Amino acid sequence: MSDKVYVLGGEQTDFQRNWSKEGKTFMSMMREIMTDALEKVGIEPSEIKKLNKDNRVAVFVGNFDAEQYTNQGHLGAFLTEVDPAFYGVPSARYEAACASGSVAIDAATTHIRAKDYDVAIVLGIEVMKTVSSTIGGDFLGTAAYYEKEAKGLSFPFPKLFGKLADVILERYKLKEEVFMDALAEISRINYDNAKRNPKSQTRSWFMNKEHAMNRGSETNMAVGGRLCITDCSQVTDGAAVVVLASKKYTDEYAKKKGIKTSEIPQVKGWGHRVAPITFDAKVAESLGNKYILPWTRQTVKDAYDRADMSVKDIDVFETHDCFTSSEYAAISAFGITEPGKEHIAIQDGVIDFKGKKPINPSGGLIGVGHPVGASGARMMLDLYKQVTGTAGEYQVPKVKNGLMLNIGGSATTNMVFIVGK
Amino acid sequence: MREIKTVTVLGANGAMGAGSAGVIAAFGNAKVYMLARDLEKAKDGVEKAYNSVKAEVIRKNLIPGTYDADLERCVSESDWVFELVAESYEVKEPINKRIAKSRKPGTIVSTVSSGLSIERLAKAFDEDGQKHYYGTHFFNPPYKMILCELVTHPGNDKKLTKDLGEYLSNKLGRAVVYTNDTPAFAGNRVGFQLMNEVAIFAEKYADKGGIALMDEIMGGYTGRAMGPLATVDFVGLDVHKAIVDNIYDNTKDAAHSTFKLPAYMQKMIDEGKLGMKAKGGLTKITKTADGKKEKFVYNILTGAYDPYPKFDIAYIPKVKKLIQESNYKAAMDIVKTAKGMEADLARYFIARYISYSLSIVGEVVETKEMVDMAMGFGFNWVPASAFVDFLGGPKDTIAIMEKSKIPVPTILTKSKPNKKFYELGNILDPRSLFKG
Repeated sequence: MSDKVYVLGGEQTDFQRNWSKEGKTFMSMMREIMTDALEKVGIEPSEIKKLNKDNRVAVFVGNFDAEQYTNQGHLGAFLTEVDPAFYGVPSARYEAACASGSVAIDAATTHIRAKDYDVAIVLGIEVMKTVSSTIGGDFLGTAAYYEKEAKGLSFPFPKLFGKLADVILERYKLKEEVFMDALAEISRINYDNAKRNPKSQTRSWFMNKEHAMNRGSETNMAVGGRLCITDCSQVTDGAAVVVLASKKYTDEYAKKKGIKTSEIPQVKGWGHRVAPITFDAKVAESLGNKYILPWTRQTVKDAYDRADMSVKDIDVFETHDCFTSSEYAAISAFGITEPGKEHIAIQDGVIDFKGKKPINPSGGLIGVGHPVGASGARMMLDLYKQVTGTAGEYQVPKVKNGLMLNIGGSATTNMVFIVGK
Repeated sequence: MREIKTVTVLGANGAMGAGSAGVIAAFGNAKVYMLARDLEKAKDGVEKAYNSVKAEVIRKNLIPGTYDADLERCVSESDWVFELVAESYEVKEPINKRIAKSRKPGTIVSTVSSGLSIERLAKAFDEDGQKHYYGTHFFNPPYKMILCELVTHPGNDKKLTKDLGEYLSNKLGRAVVYTNDTPAFAGNRVGFQLMNEVAIFAEKYADKGGIALMDEIMGGYTGRAMGPLATVDFVGLDVHKAIVDNIYDNTKDAAHSTFKLPAYMQKMIDEGKLGMKAKGGLTKITKTADGKKEKFVYNILTGAYDPYPKFDIAYIPKVKKLIQESNYKAAMDIVKTAKGMEADLARYFIARYISYSLSIVGEVVETKEMVDMAMGFGFNWVPASAFVDFLGGPKDTIAIMEKSKIPVPTILTKSKPNKKFYELGNILDPRSLFKG
């Protein structure tokens, strides 16, 4: 019944682009990214048509909020506008806030494991710059319990992750300077890494540690409690595609490409857990637990267990640094340190580009950008690049396995995938 | 790569001076002396500089000063002196003499000039100074527009040029285009060719819609954010004149006559209608009593401002619609085949732009990639080579050029079929420059 799931590659859009300024829409983004990704992977529309004749291909669209941002639902049906080759191809949209890309991957991998399809194209997409940041901030509030946690607040999410920072500080009895320095270092690393990524949103932006530490100033204003602009990922337009495949198709594909199937990365493990939706309920539930986000930790453990791996097997991480506080909590969830000791790993350079356990060599959400529904697919694409040695200037040497954590809401939906050879 | 720790910026109060100082202090982490005529102006420049890169922390790297009190001391301490004073030999040459006197051997001196002869400006210096003298043509605003034309003259040293280029690119994050010391260098030579020829045609077609018609024909669907004549208004008619006059007087190529400033533009300059900065130029925006914006356009025939017209050119909305959906091939198929005077003009100008861009390879820059970078990063226009691909490749592009009676550059006739003509896809996605 169960089959292996391979990752054949994909593509992402240039996250620096502002599609509204270009006079373009979600439709143009979908057309460009699908065309680019299929070209990159080497699958022609005629191949899609052929596969579809035998019902071997499907498309899984990850998207959070096209209804509000672009006044359009039913995104799964829009592949038919990209190319007539998609007429008749099963396709639907999957949603779990900022983890939408990952739940689309989850559906895709499940169908492949169940041998329903041989090729599953995952497309994560979000067009966000159609509205002002204040209005967009309110839309994002629907990823929380809107009525209780977002209604009437400007920028509710920075406030929720600002609260996470407060709880970390309090629970682990950290010195505030040490903790805030560690958060600034997370920001510094992500921006530095993004400079090497030719598709990152912030590649031409100025950032240094000192600026990240200059919180509360006119150019680094507070947006959510202790968190300031440099602690946040920014509003981004973008899309990413990863193409997944069954062993059967991957054998055909590898033969055509003149490579061995063993050279193509696989999805080796996965985890999916949903924590209580409100942030207060999360905090109440985790009282007395050494992890503040126990379900995030559990998701990572599930993935390790399924892959029969532990943190020592993972050479690179892509995490969900929507805010510096979420990356901070992820460090112990990955098992890189004990909870409460994350700042030591940060200070020691463990998670830096050249460290022992590099996190976000791509630049992460803070550096690459965070088109919410696309981030999950973008992370898996980056793991693919790292594992296949095709990440260019942001390649980490000798990567065998990589792990991604994509979260929705205030660490509510947690999704982890391990990709490796 | 060259190590640059201390920089003096002259003309530090202007938008370019302050913006450049901000970039150097931030990305270069250098101490920057920001000099202006008086201290208040220099201090104003410091505010502008850190705001331009959105980081107060670089403020400590920015030290205001004046030409009178500080120039000699600052220059003698500097690894690089970046001069951004007014664009004339009369202003730059005396300042260069002062710089030359206090400059220590090995210090780079450069000018932001967009058209003056770098070789002539270098003459103010001794042999070591001439070797270290360059044009570093940044674009406005420097934090956002990352192009830098690095202009060399025969007295430069190749190794030094390479080191400086690496500093500008790796440290300051500039897209560096190496150009020869030819009038207006690469970006402005090509950009102002198109802008001026479109302005000439506006007069030719003055009775059919003039200025507004030309910008409609050469709008966003032809691969730019702003129409060519709106761009003239943005940079100022006086600046436009200075650039095209310089090219007209000092070059002689196949497009020579297209650099002659049209008479109506001279008349407008004489009347002070300089563009956006003068609150009126080729177009004018006014507010009604209830705060509503109204747009007007200069009527070349009458000298009056008429309400900005709407046009009904059948093929243009169709093309725009296709670009809105990123269907560039179908959009360009319409551009290639649409009938009528407007479509003929669009094809003429597109052909001219591609032809002229590629024609400066050899004279101004070494490779077509250099001119492509200049137009993409400096003007936000679809680079010529990319346009060739959008039009279906060299063969189809040559056909359009021949039909429009535009010279076909040899680089195009010699290109390999079935291969992408544009080679900068990894650093500049030309699709992003078509506006729907």
